Amino acid sequence: MNSNLGFALEGAWKVLAASLILGAGLPALFALGIRSLAWGAGGDAEVDHARPNPAGTVLGYVLFAVVILGVLLGITFIVASGFGKALSFEHIYPTIIDK
Amino acid sequence: MTETTVILVLVVITALGFDFTNGFHDTANAMATSIATGALRPKVAVALSGILNLIGAFLSVEVALTVSNAVVRIQNSDGTPKESLTSDGGSALLLIVLAGLIGGIVWNLLTWLLGLPSSSSHALFGGLIGATIAGLGWAGVNWNGNGSKLDGVVGKVILPALMSPVIAGIVAALGTWIIYKITVGVAQRFTDNGFRWGQIGSASLVSLAHGTNDAQKTMGVITLALIATGDWTDTKNIPFWVKAACALAIALGTYLGGWRIIRTLGKGLVEIAPPQGMAAESASAAVILASSHLGFALSTTHVATGSILGSGVGKPGAQVRWRVAGRMVAAWLITLPSAAVVGAIMWYIGHLLGGGLAGALVVFALLLAAAGYMYWHSRKTPIDHNNVNDEWDSAEAPAEPVPAGKVSS
Repeated sequence: MNSNLGFALEGAWKVLAASLILGAGLPALFALGIRSLAWGAGGDAEVDHARPNPAGTVLGYVLFAVVILGVLLGITFIVASGFGKALSFEHIYPTIIDK
Repeated sequence: MTETTVILVLVVITALGFDFTNGFHDTANAMATSIATGALRPKVAVALSGILNLIGAFLSVEVALTVSNAVVRIQNSDGTPKESLTSDGGSALLLIVLAGLIGGIVWNLLTWLLGLPSSSSHALFGGLIGATIAGLGWAGVNWNGNGSKLDGVVGKVILPALMSPVIAGIVAALGTWIIYKITVGVAQRFTDNGFRWGQIGSASLVSLAHGTNDAQKTMGVITLALIATGDWTDTKNIPFWVKAACALAIALGTYLGGWRIIRTLGKGLVEIAPPQGMAAESASAAVILASSHLGFALSTTHVATGSILGSGVGKPGAQVRWRVAGRMVAAWLITLPSAAVVGAIMWYIGHLLGGGLAGALVVFALLLAAAGYMYWHSRKTPIDHNNVNDEWDSAEAPAEPVPAGKVSS
């Protein structure tokens, strides 16, 4: 029981850390993207009806691209582990390796 | 056809039946929030989730043969069944598996009838544990593992069940809170539109992960039964027809949609707005993926419920129906023991009837009767894609007073 509790707590911390980055971080970026698009669209998109600003639109799509990359990473991870492979981050950018 | 072959066929049918209930029991985990916020029309949501579950199930080529090893001792470490259980042609093992599966299905159907999102994995493990205790005694259950890694009923089932909803809740609460902070000053219609897309994306990811995680449990159980009777010998691979049948069963179940559970998760716990929905599904997807990466087994149901609760906690001024949450937690706590009791009773019935074909046929008939009764009961207050989003409070009619002395069945 005790050793199991230790292993579980150890795993729980890692899961919490990874999930905070992916599960709360990516939605936060997505929210920033929406905010930027609203800034870019101006007018009715914002409560204060500011003027449109094209920089906001560009920034918004850049942020969405980052989010989509994150999601693609997630899908790659599912597929890779299904085929007995794993994602490795030892070169910082993800690579697919044998488990 | 020998007697054992007939029992084997019953086991396979029952296992696919379990997979089917697993599908509709868990549609809500991925799609309840998207349906509640109107991001997807109900029928479109279940179709999307079904297709992604189908794809997900085919992606899980990793051999899941040892899935039951974490909780019961009916297999050797390489996945082959214990010799003592196959000496009579495999029917001893088949009876344990059949009784266990029936325990899982009966509990899944009962909680569906009550609209409670309980864990299908707990129901399956519970049924198997109960049948094993009945058949092999307490020592047949792997309670604590051997202390070298996270293992056993405590390590693989109970501890993750306690921790995963909390983790998911924290992540979703934080995500929701940040999202609302960031989008202050943006018109609500504008944010709602954007977040609906985010919600669909994150919910799809949850569906895909569900297909890979859950379908392989049934694949493992069927393959174990096939090995027990000598119809399959390869412990490194799963027969293709098993994989295809399980994938189809879980996808069809998902497409059927467990509307009662979708309603509880989508409307009952929290009134969900699109930003909350996206935060909840992202948290679920992240926790499920991170856990399976780290070998931390868990139930998608617990994670999804924790996330949705968290998204209610994280939104300033949102109302969380803690009474509904309390009922759910109560259902989680009793899922494993209840499925175990049903599994054990089924094993004893089968055993008293000789443990052979007669016993198997009788318990299978009992399963059909129980399933038919619960389906018939559900038709009295049908919930489907038409009324799944009705207001929660007005739909809850006050309970009719039961006249004294009259026992309701």
